[in-house]
Amino acid sequence: MEKLAENKIIEDLLPQKFGKQGTIWVISLIAVCALGAFAYARQLYYGLGVTALRDYVSWGIYISNFVFFVAISLVGSLITAVLRLTDVHWSTPLTRIAEIIAVSAISFAGLIIIVDMGRPDRFYNLFIHGRLQSPIIWDVIVITTYLFISLLLLYFPLLPDLKILIKYKERNGKWLQKLYEFLGSFWKNTPAQFKITDKAINILSITIIPVAFAIHTVTSWLFATTYRPGWDSTNFGAYFISGAFLVGSGGVLIAMYVFRTHYKLEKYITNDHFDKMGKVVVLLALIYLYFNVNEFLVPAFKMKKSEEEHFMGLFTGEFAMVFWFAISTAMLIPILILIFKQGRKPKAAFVAGILVVVGSWFKRYLIVTPTLLHPFLPMSDAPENYKHYFPTWEEWAIAGGSLAGALLIVTLFARIFPIIPIHETIIETESHENK
Amino acid sequence: MKTNKIIPFILIIVIGLYPSFLKAQESEEKPTLSLNLKYFNNNNTTHHLQVQAKSKIDGKFQMIAQIPVQFYITNDSNKNNLLGSGVTNEKGEAVILIPSTAKVQWLKSPNQNFLVVAASTKKFDEGRTELAITKAKLKIDTADGRVINAQIIALVDTTWTPISAVDVIVGVKRHGGILNANETATYASDSLGFVMAEFQREAIPGDAKGDIVIIASVIDNDVYGNLTSEMIVPWGAKSVYTTNYNHRSLFARRGYTPIWLELLAYGIVVAVWSVIIYLLFQIMQLKKLGIE
Repeated sequence: MEKLAENKIIEDLLPQKFGKQGTIWVISLIAVCALGAFAYARQLYYGLGVTALRDYVSWGIYISNFVFFVAISLVGSLITAVLRLTDVHWSTPLTRIAEIIAVSAISFAGLIIIVDMGRPDRFYNLFIHGRLQSPIIWDVIVITTYLFISLLLLYFPLLPDLKILIKYKERNGKWLQKLYEFLGSFWKNTPAQFKITDKAINILSITIIPVAFAIHTVTSWLFATTYRPGWDSTNFGAYFISGAFLVGSGGVLIAMYVFRTHYKLEKYITNDHFDKMGKVVVLLALIYLYFNVNEFLVPAFKMKKSEEEHFMGLFTGEFAMVFWFAISTAMLIPILILIFKQGRKPKAAFVAGILVVVGSWFKRYLIVTPTLLHPFLPMSDAPENYKHYFPTWEEWAIAGGSLAGALLIVTLFARIFPIIPIHETIIETESHENK
Repeated sequence: MKTNKIIPFILIIVIGLYPSFLKAQESEEKPTLSLNLKYFNNNNTTHHLQVQAKSKIDGKFQMIAQIPVQFYITNDSNKNNLLGSGVTNEKGEAVILIPSTAKVQWLKSPNQNFLVVAASTKKFDEGRTELAITKAKLKIDTADGRVINAQIIALVDTTWTPISAVDVIVGVKRHGGILNANETATYASDSLGFVMAEFQREAIPGDAKGDIVIIASVIDNDVYGNLTSEMIVPWGAKSVYTTNYNHRSLFARRGYTPIWLELLAYGIVVAVWSVIIYLLFQIMQLKKLGIE
């Protein structure tokens, strides 16, 4: 990183007002969210009958979306915790991006579960009558825990930056100034305070790793503890976690490019960051590909009669196009792009990131839906439309609204707080200069 | 020339309409409804009649549902002889208990006739069938050494008389059917109307006291109909009702979680949330330091 004066760093990294593009982006996101809210209002009023969810496919894209959100949220633990604990410093500018992605994704993971419920007013029954033996209860506990830890991991490193933000009273405006003062007016940059926050961040970094593993392992167990073709796997936990790290890293690649380009942060999110993050994505894509080979090739080699319909549906049948699209876009093509140095340049890495995220969303759809359509014991006399699933516009609107909502949180956060840690960047620059 | 042009035209119309004319004729012919009437005497206490309606459709006999039927005592479909009415179910069957109001007619003779009449429907013409039976009883008892005795007697004039050479099944009631008492499937009654079967089903599951229901049965006899007689005997193995309902297991209900899982889960939750709460206190500590 070039030598940068402290004031220059602060000036560069302070949150900026939305320009024309930013305003259009925010309005578009709000519009998609509003459409989703309208569709959900219809679902609440008319019931789940407005969806294509029936006796066979009772989970559909809501739960695909839930798994996707949980997966992408794991990136917070990877970038913030794993890389921090292994003393990898190049990821410092990416920590806050990763954490806000984690917080927004896990918030919407929780919300989308409630959306999937026909009677959300009965949600409290889960706590009154829930069984500790059920992975659903573990999921509720672990999602709540992960959200709190992620919020704390977002908050503690933000404290020194809040002190910097408070100084710019005129630039902030009344409302933001009040928010900054509420959150961090007590921060005085004293050694005692730094000692506490450093210790807290270390504790959180250690705590978040098992919680992150638990959150996605438990999510995988929602499927793996159910005896169905495609889910009956002892390997589902590891398969899910590897996929989660991949999609999260893909999301970070996208965010890195967007923030770098939009906020002109080329000095802070450098080509080197894309190069290193690209290598991480290649490694994670290879690991996930390895688990996919295990998940599909081994059962396909045995091809048990009861599972044949499910697997043939994926390989050559009804879901073949989506299946091969997901495998190609989530793993094969990004590997081919990012394995070359030229492919790890910002623009190419951004394209690879989009492919990873889009492919991964469809991969979650394939984990949920085809299996539900092929139970070991088919229902008798089920109407023909129960045997196929294509989401209604309400489901698409709600799923789209939730994705837009998650993006809106990230966007608004970047408007209010520095998306790259200012204080940490100053410290690292100073230490770099002193070497 | 003009006539020559009209004739082919008429021929085409006639040939074209002929199959539908035939079809219309066919549809007017309703398939024949076949009724099969049976008499049942259960434990010499209740008597009932069962009729089964079937018809040959597409070359196969099929049970006919939704046929209204009326049961009569004697061969006369006089309304005074009406026992009751019913509608056949999906198995083509309708059943009626012979009511006590038919007692006077029932006691008139040692033989009894019954009549069942199926009303005409859109698909079937009216059908009727008769049944003649001789009143009989089947008695069941036990002897030492787990032996089942059954005796069949019939009403001859005014006297109950033993009947020989009637096939009787002797066994134990099991899963809605009859499990033979031993390897012999049926016994023919002797000159005194008796059959004797040694009960060789050891350790057959009974109820909590070890009670089982032994049964003697005459099935579809041309003269006497269907007769059964049952008796409860303590020859079975005592069944001990076991349930996992109140046991702690991974598949048990709420509140019956395995202890190890409770310790593990609550332990993890307490540990992680202790850390979170500790860190929240650290924020308060930071505030305190800031104020100082």
